[in-house]
Amino acid sequence: MKVSEEYYDEIFQFKGQWDMPSSCGLKIRNVNGKTYVIVTELYQDNPGTSVTYAGRSLAEQICEQKSLDLNKIVYLECNPNTNSKLSFYDEEYFQVDFNADRQNMYRQLTKDEIMKILGR
Amino acid sequence: MDKVKLKLIYPKWNKLPGQTTFNLPPHGPVAFAATLPEYVDISFTDENVEAIDFDEECDLVALSMMLTTQVKRGWAIADEYHKRGKKVIAGGISTMLHAEEMVNHVDSVFLGESEGRSEQVIIDWKNGCLKKIYNYMGNQPPIESVGPCRRDLYKRELYNHKGVQMVDLFHASRGCRFSCYPCAVSYLGGRKFRPRPVDKVVEDMASIDNNRLFIVDNSLAQDKQWEMELFKAIAPLKKKWISHTIEDDPEVLDLAAKAGAWYVYQAVYDTSEYIKERVKRYHDYGIGVEGTILLGLDNQTVDDCKRLIDFLGEIDLDLAEFTVMTPFPHTKAYDDLLRQGRIFDFDWNHYNAGQVVFQPKLMTPEQLQDVYDYAWKSFYAAETQESKMFRLFCNVALREMEEGTYRPRNRKLANKSFGRDVDRSKRNVNLRPE
Repeated sequence: MKVSEEYYDEIFQFKGQWDMPSSCGLKIRNVNGKTYVIVTELYQDNPGTSVTYAGRSLAEQICEQKSLDLNKIVYLECNPNTNSKLSFYDEEYFQVDFNADRQNMYRQLTKDEIMKILGR
Repeated sequence: MDKVKLKLIYPKWNKLPGQTTFNLPPHGPVAFAATLPEYVDISFTDENVEAIDFDEECDLVALSMMLTTQVKRGWAIADEYHKRGKKVIAGGISTMLHAEEMVNHVDSVFLGESEGRSEQVIIDWKNGCLKKIYNYMGNQPPIESVGPCRRDLYKRELYNHKGVQMVDLFHASRGCRFSCYPCAVSYLGGRKFRPRPVDKVVEDMASIDNNRLFIVDNSLAQDKQWEMELFKAIAPLKKKWISHTIEDDPEVLDLAAKAGAWYVYQAVYDTSEYIKERVKRYHDYGIGVEGTILLGLDNQTVDDCKRLIDFLGEIDLDLAEFTVMTPFPHTKAYDDLLRQGRIFDFDWNHYNAGQVVFQPKLMTPEQLQDVYDYAWKSFYAAETQESKMFRLFCNVALREMEEGTYRPRNRKLANKSFGRDVDRSKRNVNLRPE
């Protein structure tokens, strides 16, 4: 379940839940005046907390290190394609709204939206 | 150091209705107890088999919890002790999974493995500076430091059904290099497989006053060399054991059989020839198979589930255990279903793997619940679960008789089942909770 490097520009090390050393893939894209921060789950190469469980804390750590304003970015979580036979390891992107309640925090992006952001 | 009286409690949970009642001696509390210093005098209560005496004299209370369905009961127990002015600490698997909530209910939360760390908690308590959180997540102690559990704390007669002693739980390794979709073990014990030294395993296993064990490790099939050494080393003990998956290799299966493999849990996730052959290979070596069948995955329709259930009849399983997909925290299943807004029930008492708490993709929650009930009824229609268990029991008893290790059942407990009087007019199944 190795995640392809095409999903990220860098590996971002972060403090996961209970300070567990954790890693995720990170891409930052500026498209039409918007800053998209895309975090990718690395599965076997993430020794700690998942990007979803880390949630706002991960977003804050990225913003602090990259000098971004959390209120001015579009934050996306990526479930990368791992070429598994199992459908739950297919590629998916979610936009995260940390101010919404638990049920409405995530919105799955369409293929068109992904293409506009990533240019593929 | 003055003696400290510690009340160690394993909270009860509602068992799945309709299934055969059995209670195994829990492993977590006695593994934790083994890490405490000698001056800690422990009184252990497993609430599944006996009531808690809240007025029993003690200095400090420790809750050891494994299942998500235990946590709310654990919090209620903590409330009772708080009324009596006692401090309560909590640890174990479900404490780690639900730590954020746990800190609101107990005085101190212990996260991680306790070897070499638990004495500090006692010292801090004695000095009146118990910390809210002892955080050892991701910081595992050396695996060599894992010693024998404090099995002397068990009240053995409570883990006995009609004179037959239940298996003892045992662990030969920690951690897991796999990150399976519905499982949190790699979060809890790390993504690295950490086998215990074989000589330590043998020493520990030999000390257990029980010839039947359940090796609870997630999967023994993670380091073939170690697995083979382990089987060679434990064979002379003549124990009989249950485990999860064993390496699918003739040499390993042969060694496992010679080492006393009784039956294994094997996931049955599709109707392929591979699964059929896998089960057959175990049987060829005299190893029984309990199929574990997870229902409600995103690629399953009701018809797919029923085909899978019908398939079980073709592969000659000895037992089957059905569960519904349950998004336990810190699993990929939880992350995915949460993001998709498909978890509709966050009452942890319902996270028992028998109750649907999420919206399945290709069926309704009601259909999944029905197909789960159908699975249990269908598989055990011709022969009850208790009867199939009895057949497996007879198999192992015969092997033990051949090897001269068979222990006749305890006649004094012939009319007792887990500490209660046997009512022979009723089947030994769990009833719906009141």
